[in-house]
Amino acid sequence: MEQLGILQRSESSTQGKYSVEVKHVSKSYGETEIYTDLHFQLLKGTFVALVGPIGSGKTTLLNMFAGLERPSSGTILVMGQDITRMTMDGLGVFRANTIGLVPQVQTLIPELTVRENVELPLHFARVDNENRQRKVDHVLEKVGIRGESKRVVSTLSVGEKQMVSFARAMVNEPPILLLDEPTEALDPLMAEVILGLLRGDNLTLGRTIFVTTHDRRVTDLAKKTLRVKKKIP
Amino acid sequence: MSRGVPLHEGQLLARSLNVSRSTHLVVASLAAAVAANAAAAIQLIGPFGQAALLAVIFVTVALGTSAISSDIYARSSQTIHNLRSIGASSRSLSGAVFFSLIGYGVAGSAVGAGLGAALGIALGGQGGALSALLAVLGVILASSAAAAAGVYAGGRRTWSN
Repeated sequence: MEQLGILQRSESSTQGKYSVEVKHVSKSYGETEIYTDLHFQLLKGTFVALVGPIGSGKTTLLNMFAGLERPSSGTILVMGQDITRMTMDGLGVFRANTIGLVPQVQTLIPELTVRENVELPLHFARVDNENRQRKVDHVLEKVGIRGESKRVVSTLSVGEKQMVSFARAMVNEPPILLLDEPTEALDPLMAEVILGLLRGDNLTLGRTIFVTTHDRRVTDLAKKTLRVKKKIP
Repeated sequence: MSRGVPLHEGQLLARSLNVSRSTHLVVASLAAAVAANAAAAIQLIGPFGQAALLAVIFVTVALGTSAISSDIYARSSQTIHNLRSIGASSRSLSGAVFFSLIGYGVAGSAVGAGLGAALGIALGGQGGALSALLAVLGVILASSAAAAAGVYAGGRRTWSN
């Protein structure tokens, strides 16, 4: 999978310039090799869409950026920090403060309300109560689900859950947003809201956005599109 | 950056991990049963027997709470993965389980120890009220420390996997 686009070829790691630096990363599951010697950097504030067929390793790459999967070899720096050497707990603290993640599979806690789900990352980031309430109100308003804040997540539709996932990912204003097929479960109106938010966050807040997608509307919005091919064994 | 697990966070996490009323009831009733037996028996035996009994209480309660906390983590492994993906640490997860169980454990062992102390006196325990009170305190302390050690051990086993 070496064909993955190279965004910046600079070998010297200029501190503060990149949000993600992938250095000679390989990833395999048993005998199946997904990536071989992947090497590229993402500039801060960039908006990158990753496209490719199912099973080509898009989610694997996104999970490695989030520290949810470790590369078989090589190093990944996120905001200058080597996440491949962090402990599980170190990664937890790092994620709470640095990364907003919208996974493809719902990871909300179904027994909790919308508000409680969105509030959770702020607890882990040790945000005090006053700021927690302010941030949660702000993001629920922004995503347009403030009216649903007291509903238990298990009673929501798939699309509504996806909106809650967005709110949860954005609530602590992380410098990096990682999104896995974010518009897949959304109706056109909801998708428009999310695309507008992503565009706004990227342009005005300079947030780095890395998104896997099959949606043309998302690739049109992105500044760069990377294409992965499925490796033929 | 404050240390420890704030109450509200602990409650949210405990609910996320499905630590339910029935779990609370299991912990409280087991603690009560152990403490009642121990508080009665401790009044009827000598110092070496008492030390041995407290050691037995510690080991058995620690094993029990370790198994209960491991079971909570095992039942909720997907939830734990999801919580970790948004920043939860093993300390916050262990703390949530510990604080959601310890209150019920202490309450159960206090009630059980009180009943056991009365039973011990009725059965002819020696030393009177002060001795019975010390025995009760010893049992509560041993079982609370054991519960803490058990939850910690259960968490360690989970996080090291």
